[in-house]
Amino acid sequence: MNPGADEPAAVRHGVTCTRIAVAGLLTAALAVALLGVDYAFGKATLVATYAIAGLGVVVVVGQAGQIALGQAAMVALGAYTQAVLVGYGLSALLALPLATAAGALGGTLASLPARRLGGLYFGMSTLAFALIVEEGLVRWESVTHGAAGMAVGAFTVAGWRADSSLAQALFSATLLGLALFACTRLCASRHGRAWRAVRDDEAAAAACGIDPDAARMQAFVVGGALSGLAGGLYAHWIGFISPEQFGLAFSFELLMLAFIGGARRLAGALWGALVIVAIPQVIALLRDALPGDWARAAGLELLLFGAVIVAVVLLRPAGLASGEEAHARRPQA
Amino acid sequence: MLAFVQVLTSGIAIGCVYGLVALSFVLVYKATATVSFMQGDLLMLGAFAALGLHSWAGWPLAVAAVGAVVVVALLGAALERVALRRALGRPHLVAVLLTFGLGMMMRGGVASVPAAAQDMHRLPFAADTVALGPLVLAVSHLWVVAATLLLSALLAAFFRYTRTGLALRACSEDARSAALMGVPVAHMHTLAWSLGAALAAMAGLLLAPVTFVHLNMGFIALKAFPAAVLGGLTSLPGALVAGIFLGVAEALAGLALPEGAKDVVPYLLLMLALLLFPHGLGGGRGTRGRA
Repeated sequence: MNPGADEPAAVRHGVTCTRIAVAGLLTAALAVALLGVDYAFGKATLVATYAIAGLGVVVVVGQAGQIALGQAAMVALGAYTQAVLVGYGLSALLALPLATAAGALGGTLASLPARRLGGLYFGMSTLAFALIVEEGLVRWESVTHGAAGMAVGAFTVAGWRADSSLAQALFSATLLGLALFACTRLCASRHGRAWRAVRDDEAAAAACGIDPDAARMQAFVVGGALSGLAGGLYAHWIGFISPEQFGLAFSFELLMLAFIGGARRLAGALWGALVIVAIPQVIALLRDALPGDWARAAGLELLLFGAVIVAVVLLRPAGLASGEEAHARRPQA
Repeated sequence: MLAFVQVLTSGIAIGCVYGLVALSFVLVYKATATVSFMQGDLLMLGAFAALGLHSWAGWPLAVAAVGAVVVVALLGAALERVALRRALGRPHLVAVLLTFGLGMMMRGGVASVPAAAQDMHRLPFAADTVALGPLVLAVSHLWVVAATLLLSALLAAFFRYTRTGLALRACSEDARSAALMGVPVAHMHTLAWSLGAALAAMAGLLLAPVTFVHLNMGFIALKAFPAAVLGGLTSLPGALVAGIFLGVAEALAGLALPEGAKDVVPYLLLMLALLLFPHGLGGGRGTRGRA
């Protein structure tokens, strides 16, 4: 599950990369064979974009051991920055770093109030931040067009338009690869080690000269930046954004993504994204399998999605997500 | 001036609901160290259960209300036995996802009942207004305030004078020592979830005449998080007082600030409070390690 800590990082990295490549190719081949080329590439685009957004959560939850309940807000900030800037005529490629910066700024603002408290307080402050952002996007109509949402054109670079699903899939996969590479380097660096040290034992980390407050904030900034980048891409791929897309449900989807993939490993973001994108499809299949009246019930999708979450958490409770050693087990009678 | 007083009373009333939900959240959090994201859904379920028992089963309203609270309390206990127990001692993420999923199932379950999903319903009580001189107050608001006072008095008595209440408090303070003293800690966890669920259901019943009964009435519980944090996350009276404070602040913001600002005021206050008073407005110092 968790690659041995003693294994040399390079070996571990190599093995993970091969495994990902093989599994990725297999899944891709299967998807193309089953679903048709265009649909498969469309879904692959979505998976890669979700994976980048989820990587942000993995950094915060898995590496730094904190909790983020409002990551959708960072995706929203990225998406809206991209949409507004491109709307003003800025090149999409130039807007993308700014969307990333908007996400990073969001991560900073959301985590600032809880920086000295950590733990659950981060959850509360990021949740509050996300609800404020959602309301702000609805109300700031002159820029965001409010609840009506805004349309976003195709991703265009110097006359080349990424409007085929193959181009979109390739572009997002490339960015995902770059993001994964950058994160791997970052996590192997002084900063990444500081995150893990704070996650595993805050007092010991502080005794080693690490500033826990600063390390946690950094994780939120990096996580926000990744989610912002994903938001910038998402705006182009979906072509239409509105505040309600980035609500609480999306934040929890991203948390689920990190949980399912196993937040300890960066590559977990990709696995989680695959599952999260597949769940609605599976639910649609289940729905069709149910007899008559049941299949039409309005709440069925919600019910099934909730059941999937509960089942995943109950059936795979261990070896996931944030540091278990960090939280001593409470005694049970 | 009159408008001000009227806004103030409605703020206090809605604040009492925030306070009750925050109370249920803190109760569970203190006793089991798990974060519950389903208090809003339990609130909604309580209101719908009363509605179902009254309108379809034909029970008298008072009996239906008691029945609904009992049903939701039993549901809370059952969920603790079956699922929530597994989140004990695990990272917050596990409990957050688990309760969120369970909440989704409750919402989905209610939405699957065609008669429930369609529109707003009302519980036929406290729909009138009373006039005190020039002041006109909604009976539903008075009900909420009176019931909150009564409930908090009952809870205070329960925690101070009954053996079970003391055991629950001991278990919240230090589960290991409580277990050594012969407190059945696992039972106390079940009791805490069931009490938390019952409190949320009561909040739902009290909210029913104010906002009507509908599928999304549980979203009000999001405002209970700022209330719980402002109260210091581990203080029951703190949660209640902070809830009322937020209700009033929100109502006054609705009076003075532009459209839409009202809804974000609790969250802005939460972030400000964390920034300026990291241990909660009423919370003591040094609670950080235990929380």
